[in-house]
Amino acid sequence: MPNYSTDDNAAEAETPVSMTRAERRQARRIRRFDNPWMNPKLIWGVSLLMGIIALGLIGRVLWDPELVFTGSAPLKLPPLGFENLRGQPGVLDHPLGTDGGGRDMLALIIIGAPNTLFVGLLASLIGMSIGIFLGFSAGFLGGRIDDTIRVLADVMITIPPLLILVVFQSAFGDVTLTIMALLIAGFVWQSPTRLIRAQVLSMKQSGYVQMAQLSGASTGHIMFKEMLPNLVPYLFGSFIASVTTSIVTAVGLEVLGLGPQRIPTLGRTIYEAINAGALIQNLWWWWGIPTLLLATMFIGLLLINLGLDEVSNPRLRKLS
Amino acid sequence: MSDKPVLTLRDLSIEFPTPKGVVQAVKNLDLTIQKGRRVGFIGESGSGKTTTALAVMQMLAEPGRVASGSIDLVGTDVLALTEEEMRKTRLSRIAYIPQGAMNSLNPVMRIEPQLWDGIIAHEGHMERAELKRRSDAALTSVGLPAHTGELFPHELSGGMKQRVCIALGIILNPDLIIADEPTSALDVVTQRQVMQTLNDIQAQIGSGLILIGHDMGLMAQSVDELAVLKDGELVEHGTVKQIIEAPKHPYTQDLISSVPLVGGDSFLNPERNAEAPKRDSSEPLLRFEKVRKDYGAVTALHPMSFALQGDTPQIISIVGQSGSGKSTMGSIMLGFNPPSQGRVLFEGQDVAAMNAAQSLEFRKNVQAVFQDPYACFNPFYRVNHALKFPFKQFGLAQSEAHTQQAMEEACDAVGLDPDLVLSRYPHQLSGGQRQRLIVARALMLSPKLLIADEPVSMVDASLRATILSNIYDLKDKYGISILYITHDLATAYHVSDYVMVLYKGHVVEAGPPKEVIGQPQHPYTQLLIDSIPWPDLDRAWGGGRSDWDPETLEAEAERASAVYRGDVVGFELARV
Amino acid sequence: MGRIPRDYLVNRLVTLVLTILIAATIIWIIPRLSPVDPAEIALGRMASGAGAVANSEEILAQLRANMGIDQPLIVQYFKYLTGALVFDFGLSTAAFPTPVSTLILNALPWTLGLMIFSLIITFFIGNLLGALMVWDRSPKLVRVAIPAAMVFTSIPPILSGLLLMWIFAAKLQWFPLTGAYSIFVEPGWTWDFVSSVLYHGFLPALSIVIVTFGFWTLGMRGLMITVQGEDYVKLAEAKGLRPRYILYRYMIRNAILPQITAFALKIGLLIAGQVLVERIFAYNGMGKLLYDAILNQDFPVIQGVSYVIILMTALSVFLVDLLYPFIDPRIRHEAA
Repeated sequence: MPNYSTDDNAAEAETPVSMTRAERRQARRIRRFDNPWMNPKLIWGVSLLMGIIALGLIGRVLWDPELVFTGSAPLKLPPLGFENLRGQPGVLDHPLGTDGGGRDMLALIIIGAPNTLFVGLLASLIGMSIGIFLGFSAGFLGGRIDDTIRVLADVMITIPPLLILVVFQSAFGDVTLTIMALLIAGFVWQSPTRLIRAQVLSMKQSGYVQMAQLSGASTGHIMFKEMLPNLVPYLFGSFIASVTTSIVTAVGLEVLGLGPQRIPTLGRTIYEAINAGALIQNLWWWWGIPTLLLATMFIGLLLINLGLDEVSNPRLRKLS
Repeated sequence: MSDKPVLTLRDLSIEFPTPKGVVQAVKNLDLTIQKGRRVGFIGESGSGKTTTALAVMQMLAEPGRVASGSIDLVGTDVLALTEEEMRKTRLSRIAYIPQGAMNSLNPVMRIEPQLWDGIIAHEGHMERAELKRRSDAALTSVGLPAHTGELFPHELSGGMKQRVCIALGIILNPDLIIADEPTSALDVVTQRQVMQTLNDIQAQIGSGLILIGHDMGLMAQSVDELAVLKDGELVEHGTVKQIIEAPKHPYTQDLISSVPLVGGDSFLNPERNAEAPKRDSSEPLLRFEKVRKDYGAVTALHPMSFALQGDTPQIISIVGQSGSGKSTMGSIMLGFNPPSQGRVLFEGQDVAAMNAAQSLEFRKNVQAVFQDPYACFNPFYRVNHALKFPFKQFGLAQSEAHTQQAMEEACDAVGLDPDLVLSRYPHQLSGGQRQRLIVARALMLSPKLLIADEPVSMVDASLRATILSNIYDLKDKYGISILYITHDLATAYHVSDYVMVLYKGHVVEAGPPKEVIGQPQHPYTQLLIDSIPWPDLDRAWGGGRSDWDPETLEAEAERASAVYRGDVVGFELARV
Repeated sequence: MGRIPRDYLVNRLVTLVLTILIAATIIWIIPRLSPVDPAEIALGRMASGAGAVANSEEILAQLRANMGIDQPLIVQYFKYLTGALVFDFGLSTAAFPTPVSTLILNALPWTLGLMIFSLIITFFIGNLLGALMVWDRSPKLVRVAIPAAMVFTSIPPILSGLLLMWIFAAKLQWFPLTGAYSIFVEPGWTWDFVSSVLYHGFLPALSIVIVTFGFWTLGMRGLMITVQGEDYVKLAEAKGLRPRYILYRYMIRNAILPQITAFALKIGLLIAGQVLVERIFAYNGMGKLLYDAILNQDFPVIQGVSYVIILMTALSVFLVDLLYPFIDPRIRHEAA
């Protein structure tokens, strides 16, 4: 057996002295280092998002999705247990109330929330793929290609996507969810590109990439087998950040009355609520419920992002 | 000041609670430091030497704490001080000179304000002119021009930054200076300058000094007393003379014998003198044709030509300090870094213009061991990935079982237990184990040429000799030619068959090690040898000359022409 | 500027010009790809006003000539670009014949005022809180309260705007529901007017601040953790400096540097978010102008507003880049 002489080995050899309660708590905290993915923030965040997806899936089975259509229910009914200004109480048939167009709020969120999430996920998936491709190309090929990609990313990162999309959608009118996602994807590739480029540049100098080169590895092997696995926490983090950006952009468009006109989304519901003066009429559930759901979604994303940060940067974990 | 001891540690224990229980980092330490004395704390990483120093500063990292004992600083019980009193004690009574001088200065502040804020924090606001006078005096006292104060840290060299840290340490005339490996990031020449500065200034203000380190040579040349620490315990304490000449504890004996000396006994045991592998080509294994490398306006390597035949296995050492161009040479040889001019030929084939098949052949035959064993393994895979993958890639593997067997044999050959090591993740292994695995990898691939770039500079001292003899065996037992790139003349002396000393991209002296390192003739080689601190009291630093001035010596070295001291079979260096 | 390295300056200038050019081109191309004919929209508007329009073909041709869209595309493009240089975007189609630039000039001060105010407050509060989260001498309350407040930060500004509006304007009626100033005061430099502006601006500004400070807080927290482990902070402590001094001069001073770069990069997104807030609060700024233009399919105004906002973004990025070498001396050194 070769002789060890590192810190931790010396430490392990010691016999534990009896511990106080504070020390045991400390120990539990440190033990979390063993499996960084068992991070409470991460778990909470994922649960929140899964909850929204589950609401969409189960809701379609248990609730009548036809109720999202205008006039399928009485107008402006409050949620169960509340009264509206006209003194009507909430009814069991529409537990979350109805909007000014006679649509059931529960059905609206069952259909609308997954739509909003779908746009975010699709746009970021495409954006990330572009980002990975460009980031690796720039970092690996260098030279002119790197310069072009770098300047392009720098330029595009300063252009607010919302404005370009506003111009686009007011010119083209109604769009589908997928087209909106594609358009947003055109604005969420810059950050991942920059991040991956920087990481690839630093990894290129790293010992294990040089070792792989010495081992006669192909460029493809180095990119996908040696570098990519180590980028996973960063990619996840970047992905979640771009989902957030995509949803913010999508909701922004919808609240301006742009975006898909006939498909229920959370943003569109808020747009209609503001337009109908729901704030003054005290129809809080009309805009409040979609707002609450969006907030849940964003908090979920934030928690996932914080959790991922802690996974990829162990220094952050010590604080929590 | 009274004649009380500067620092008295009584029964000091320091512990760190961890998930597996409380770890005692320092155990029942008793030590007294008298006024004006220099005491060295020596031990390997994790021995508790820095922890002790930080406890004296009351700056232990969370969750560390002093469990028992007392710390007495010229009559003051340090552990009883309030936070504010402790803050006032720092710098004014105990100064700390940190290890990482490179990053120890605030990068966005000029030097002067960083000296001034220390004064102000203890003595209150004062006239700017007075501050300026004191900072200038402090900088001058460590041999820096006063205008250094107006610069930003990034505009200073490593040695200058370390001197700024020393200037900062003595600016309030403390009772005790703690210097934590103050020269670990510096070249030997600068190391000697900085240590001289530190010792002069300490003698001048008459404070106590704790020098923390792991290099027995440096200690022997710098301190009066030595405290040897191992796993948190003080295993031996005495004057340097007692400890160097008659070490009692086996660990101290190990520490002393682990420092390779020029001359002295070799730590290698040559036995086989294996033949080089048969080659199809009659061209030299590796040839440099007027290779030159420029980085912008700086020439890292001046045109150099040599040919390594490879029919007789040889170890060729390339010795130099940082910036000498030695690592550039290494990366050019590996084809990672194209030369600005000239060609690198592998068996007659230009490395820069190879097709895929030739390139694979080149990779198979030219392997490397790098400096940093921590970075060489992909953290995503188990360590056997680094051995298995090239073995298969080069078509050496006949079957899974064959690969496994080859890996196990290679591990055995470098003294690692394959069952314990191969299926682990890199972070579960120590630096020494990882570096041996890299050597095992080279062995398994049996290249014709191995480039070893500072293979032991990041490994604990006690393991260096073992790893070097593993590398030596590659030549001795397996007939692999080796280019050994290093800053360490002593190991080059023992390991190599031929030595080239590089200075600013030029070869200044070359020949068999007994001559080049044993009796150097070029002024630069002499300067390097003189700068090495030997763990030998009779052999004072640089022959004990007090008029030692590296600037003039370096200027002299730049004017002198290269010295060639004889040849070795199978290696021809073109004379410039 | 003598101390900014030339290469660095040239590099930044190229990025600035490219950003403006590319953005201007995109907002010009998109409407051209659309099947909608702005002349027909204008005609339709006339028709709805007058009931019926005779010889519509002639009027259409006339309208096209007026709008300059009867010319070859390349001519139109260069006319547009030269126009954009002097902020001439033609006439608004909805508020015909008011020049777009006049509309923008009227709206711009409101947006700039609200933006500068909220951006700067957010940046300071956010970074300070982020730093306090890490600093080991912060009161315990601070360390608990900040993470709780972070919940807001995940919400887009429109939502926070809605909530604040509902609570403080609709329910409690502490603040006005919409508008940038009361309709009962004359605009001018009078105390009544200024106080009315501040009173009306409070909620929009607050809704931006509470949702964006967390972005800085989070970023700062990560940076501070890194800086906290730096050798120079340890040495500062060993120097016996006062903890507060270390916090400001050693820790925050270094940790803030990447935040400033991020500030430049995020300005665009923040301005866009603000456009939405303005829309909700019916604040007389660029956001409302843009929103009305969208409703009326008023393309010159949409183009003009987008162009000006992008220009502001690009200029702020450029400005931050120019200032950066003075904040971080290392940049000056490296590039030189």
